[in-house]
Amino acid sequence: MDRRTLLQTLGGGFGLAGLTGTLQAATADPMAVRKPHFPGKAKHVIYLFLNGGMSQVDTFDPKPALIKYDGTPMPGAKIVTDRASGSLMKSPWAFKKHGQSGIEVSEIFPEVAKRIDDFCLIRSMYTDSGNHGPSLQIANCGHQLPGRPSMGAWVTYGLGTENNNLPGYVVLCPGFPVLGASLWTSGYMPSIYQGTHIQNSAVEPEKLIQNLCNGELTPQEQQRQLALLGKLNQGYLDRVGAQPGLDSAVRSMESAFRLQSEATDVFDIRKEPEHVRARYDISDFGRGCLMALRMVERGVRMVQVYHGNFQPWDSHDDIRIHAKLADKTDGPIAALVDDLKSRGLFDETIILIGSEFGRTPMIQNSGLEKLGRGRDHNTPGFTVLLAGGGIKGGTVYGATDDFGYKAVEKPTHVHDLHATMLHCLGFDHTKLTYRYAGRDFRLTDVSGNVIKEILA
Amino acid sequence: MRALLPREPGILEMRRALQIALCMLPILAMGADDIAFFETRIRPLFAANCYACHTNSKMGGLRLDSRESVLTGGNSGPAIVVGNPEGSLLMQAVRRTHQTLKMPPTAQLKEEEVASLAEWVQRGAAWSKQESLPAKALDASYVITPAQRAFWSFQPVRQQKSPAVKNKTWAKTAVDNFILAGLETRGMTPVPAADKSTLLRRVTFDLVGLPPTLQELDDFVKDNTPQAFAKVVDRLLASPHYGERWARHWLDLSRYADGQLAASIDTPLPNAYRFRDWVVDAFNKDLPYDKFVKAQIAADQLPEVERAALLPGLGFQALGEQGHDQVDVTTKVFLGLTVGCAQCHDHKYDPIPTKDYYSLMGVFRSSSAIQHPLVPKAEVEAYEAHKKKVDAMKEVIDDYLILQQKLLADTLARNTADYMVAAWKKDFSAKHLDRQTLDRWIVYLADPKKEHAYLNPWFDLMKKNPSEDQVRKAAEEYHVFALNLIEEGKEVEDKNYVAFGGKKGMKNENNRQYTNIVSLDTLKFYQWRELVSGPYSTDGFKAPAGVYYFGPKEIDRWLGGFAKDHLERLRIEFIALEKDLPPMYPFLHTLKDADQPADIPVAIRGDEKNKGEIAPRGFLSILSHGDRQLFKNGSGRLELAEAIASSANPMTARVMVNRIWQYHFGAGIVRSTSNFGQMGERPTHPELLDYLAKRFVDSGWSVKSIHREILLSNTYALSTANDIRNAEVDPENKLLWRAHLQPRLDIEALRDSLLAVSGKLDSQIGGAPSLLDKGSNRRSIYLTVSRTRLDPTMALFDFPDANATSDNRPVTIGPLQGLFFLNSTFVADQAKALTDRLTNEVGADNKTRIEQAYRLLYSRRPDARELQLGIDYLNEGSADTRKAWQRYLQTLFGSGEFTSVN
Repeated sequence: MDRRTLLQTLGGGFGLAGLTGTLQAATADPMAVRKPHFPGKAKHVIYLFLNGGMSQVDTFDPKPALIKYDGTPMPGAKIVTDRASGSLMKSPWAFKKHGQSGIEVSEIFPEVAKRIDDFCLIRSMYTDSGNHGPSLQIANCGHQLPGRPSMGAWVTYGLGTENNNLPGYVVLCPGFPVLGASLWTSGYMPSIYQGTHIQNSAVEPEKLIQNLCNGELTPQEQQRQLALLGKLNQGYLDRVGAQPGLDSAVRSMESAFRLQSEATDVFDIRKEPEHVRARYDISDFGRGCLMALRMVERGVRMVQVYHGNFQPWDSHDDIRIHAKLADKTDGPIAALVDDLKSRGLFDETIILIGSEFGRTPMIQNSGLEKLGRGRDHNTPGFTVLLAGGGIKGGTVYGATDDFGYKAVEKPTHVHDLHATMLHCLGFDHTKLTYRYAGRDFRLTDVSGNVIKEILA
Repeated sequence: MRALLPREPGILEMRRALQIALCMLPILAMGADDIAFFETRIRPLFAANCYACHTNSKMGGLRLDSRESVLTGGNSGPAIVVGNPEGSLLMQAVRRTHQTLKMPPTAQLKEEEVASLAEWVQRGAAWSKQESLPAKALDASYVITPAQRAFWSFQPVRQQKSPAVKNKTWAKTAVDNFILAGLETRGMTPVPAADKSTLLRRVTFDLVGLPPTLQELDDFVKDNTPQAFAKVVDRLLASPHYGERWARHWLDLSRYADGQLAASIDTPLPNAYRFRDWVVDAFNKDLPYDKFVKAQIAADQLPEVERAALLPGLGFQALGEQGHDQVDVTTKVFLGLTVGCAQCHDHKYDPIPTKDYYSLMGVFRSSSAIQHPLVPKAEVEAYEAHKKKVDAMKEVIDDYLILQQKLLADTLARNTADYMVAAWKKDFSAKHLDRQTLDRWIVYLADPKKEHAYLNPWFDLMKKNPSEDQVRKAAEEYHVFALNLIEEGKEVEDKNYVAFGGKKGMKNENNRQYTNIVSLDTLKFYQWRELVSGPYSTDGFKAPAGVYYFGPKEIDRWLGGFAKDHLERLRIEFIALEKDLPPMYPFLHTLKDADQPADIPVAIRGDEKNKGEIAPRGFLSILSHGDRQLFKNGSGRLELAEAIASSANPMTARVMVNRIWQYHFGAGIVRSTSNFGQMGERPTHPELLDYLAKRFVDSGWSVKSIHREILLSNTYALSTANDIRNAEVDPENKLLWRAHLQPRLDIEALRDSLLAVSGKLDSQIGGAPSLLDKGSNRRSIYLTVSRTRLDPTMALFDFPDANATSDNRPVTIGPLQGLFFLNSTFVADQAKALTDRLTNEVGADNKTRIEQAYRLLYSRRPDARELQLGIDYLNEGSADTRKAWQRYLQTLFGSGEFTSVN
């Protein structure tokens, strides 16, 4: 009997319906699979986070006007950026049309380009803050200030998890992105919904998960411990009588025992055949994508893969570094799409690829010593990609102005993106609420509209 | 039209409703009685009960301020079906017969109000000609209605007599009378009391967060005097560990961390712990709560005699974020009010206008966080002056090195052609060429893949098996180009240097950001970097140093004579200066008033650029007596502190005694401990709450006195035993017919207990925080708390996100927690230590050791079955008895009895 069935069986006898707060968190299994508001097309989320800020005009939002106006100040309205920005700067890379949809993609994403008909590009994203911290908070938690639950917390709170032997929400990053744990926090929700952060710079599972293996005890010896524990706990339960929350508490060791073998399996990408592994094994990000695939395959609800530590895509000094970053990113994304498809998971997984903001079409005034050719943060307009369950592939939604600076057609706030993602999972984002300090909170705060045009 | 189609009543009903509505329109317009009925009965009812949410804010998509909007309805469909109250969603909602819609959400309408509404719908839902209320302008004066004033938590705390009870023998204290009276009205009786050892274990965890020692256990079990338990409570309240336990609750509330709360970075603050230590000490000393509160808002303005002792309390504000966070946390924690909800609009449920929010905001905006040195001014000045000298000297050295580095690069570049030819020939004989530079050239030219085309002629030539003459010619061509490029780079630097306004201007970050500068062409920049720039790296990319770049660590060998002597002298001077620099002086994080405190305007819809009327600094309207209390002195913080820490304000004492109650019983008398507003819960025992609040104030705001009120009751001493009949009436145990079982110890108690029983606990009190992963054995409250990198073990066991105030830790259970017991070296280490401790203390006999372990871990002796289980386990396992014991104890640690408190 797995933990879920066990809890359902035991929980049934207590008449605990209607408990709130602490008791509810501990009694009604907080990770039990729950039905969303309506049947969603997707059941899992993979969020590939290109932290630092991917430039839209060099990747997925071509702007021929930048070639014409290269080196001249941007015509029109006064621009507002974090740092002084100079003249417009054309992209160093060429764009070409791809797929049946004819969507234009930069040459630094050749493999994604080949599969562009699977993707929906929202080219009219905008966000509220030009600093990494607040905008990372918005992208992940729907609010500028820290302390609100992250998207993954909301998703696991809403849907529970399909595999109780693994965490419901996993975050992969070789170390830490800017702000670290506040990006995958459960905020004011029970901490079981927080992301389990795994530093995926290692390949060996025992180095990835804290306390996963026991260097001293054999599984047989642990079985003996568990047998004794079961008897001790039963005695305790008999003595104190039926108590809310106690059963699941005393049985967490049993599920941990199962987790040991399951996690050792799922995180061990060496178990994939060489031809599969080779496509990912080019970067930490790539290996993260492969782990994400294996986790989703085993029922993990949401996996977030950060491209790297701190903020790799933050190309202030030199935009050409984007090519080197894309080189580590493009292939694994393509491989992930292909493998999700071949394993029958593509249609039930929503894939989100994006950054906290974009980059200016203008050159950034860098320091003296850099003689720079970089781009600054851009909040009024940037691009994200979506694919998979519930998403209409081969579509472009919205547009920025002629220079890629500001979203002018169908401007889409991060809240709208969150609302749409929740919709694909079967949630009305206005109704997925959590009561804290007397208020029903939402991932989308008090805004957000589902973008119906991009739904399959 | 489609948008109006209802989801719930169905299309046919909708059509019918519209037909009826359309038919009735002419009649309605004329029914003067109906209009009067609407104006006297219905509109006031809507205004009082519904308009907080159903006008501009359109909760659920529904407005109730015009006939059209009522007929159109909201997300669930039309609110009413004219002439058909039963079929109207509005009626189903107010009658609470609808499955999900139950309105108003917090308080049911009176019967006569429901009847009026039904009659209004039946009679055609008349609406007077002035179709809708004008949308309330933001600067309209805000009126608190009598109904809002009458809300329970805004009433003064009343003197309460303990109620009469039928059972004359059970109740021991006033608290018991209130609890028993509550039970008796529902026909319930309390379960029997817990046994002595259970009670001792419970109270010890409650007050000090550790299990009782064997001595404490024996003393209490043997003590048969009536005062035995009171003695235990006194002993625990006097223990220095009491403060460590209760300060942690307060630190949860005050979102404490050893770093600055800010939106973008997590700056470590090595002096933050002084606030934590102050809180520990305040609890231990039973600092009167009103003073405790004032210290955390305005210690800098309290009377001189006590100021120094209270000043660390300002960490509550200074470690947070200036502005919104301070308003939000201060009001939630001290007043139990969600004032933060009024940031963008008037509070939807409570009588808190946005203007009040910005009145408080003005107070905090008129204050700023400062570092308050804990050493004499002269010492601070001496340190700062010395630090300045060190920094200045460092800059002189750095500048000198950069100058030398540039000179050297220039000089080396003059031999570019020779280096290239020598690199091609692998000829190391030329005396005027530097070997290391030549090696770099060889490496550089070995890889033809460059990000620019300037070396293409060279690499093309290389493919053609060239003669030395050809090579030299190509090298000379490149040589000219390289010198020009370096020259061009210098020109760019010079131009920018001027544009920035010289060295000073360059150091001014603001100036730097808003100066238009020039730059090299991208491809030339790459080439320039490969020649003369230092190594470049960013998170995603690394470029090596240019061939001619020799940085501060490599340049020494190039220097000689005067330059060398000069640098050496500078360095010696620097080292001497640095050696004399003392560690930075200790300081507190406090606040000070701005030189010119000022009121700020309301930010309309929370947008600070959209300025509304000025909000004069002052206290919350609802908690002011008579005219709203405005602040006149400085920022107004002291007046705010006094208004909060006052018995005239009904919230503060109630909120705190309720928190103390929660930490003893698992849930508050008001379960929403930080929200005593409309959307919060109502007190289960309002009279008891007032009784305690009154006692609290009368005792001189003594927290310890409230502990005694609670702990010495028979209610606290109940067992956790079940009672089927009680459980049916009150499954959540809201009326406290039994004790609350804590299903899992919080992480601090869990970790501290493991260390305590193993004998490894380092009981040093206070001081700088220790890192958990550095193997510290100190109590958990002393571990470093990061805002962005929560310790994974702490986070796993529900340690809260330190960026938000946390008033009650949820208890979650997951498999990763089990791994901690199964596999962590920490638990294994404690099992080993306890094995040795047992052997040392009681010898090698298994039975004796098992008994001792049970007493240490569970505060009781094992029964025969448990003893046998232990003996069997130890006998059948490994031949190594020490190992067998470790595994056995590890299992005892993981058991529910160790990790829960009953």
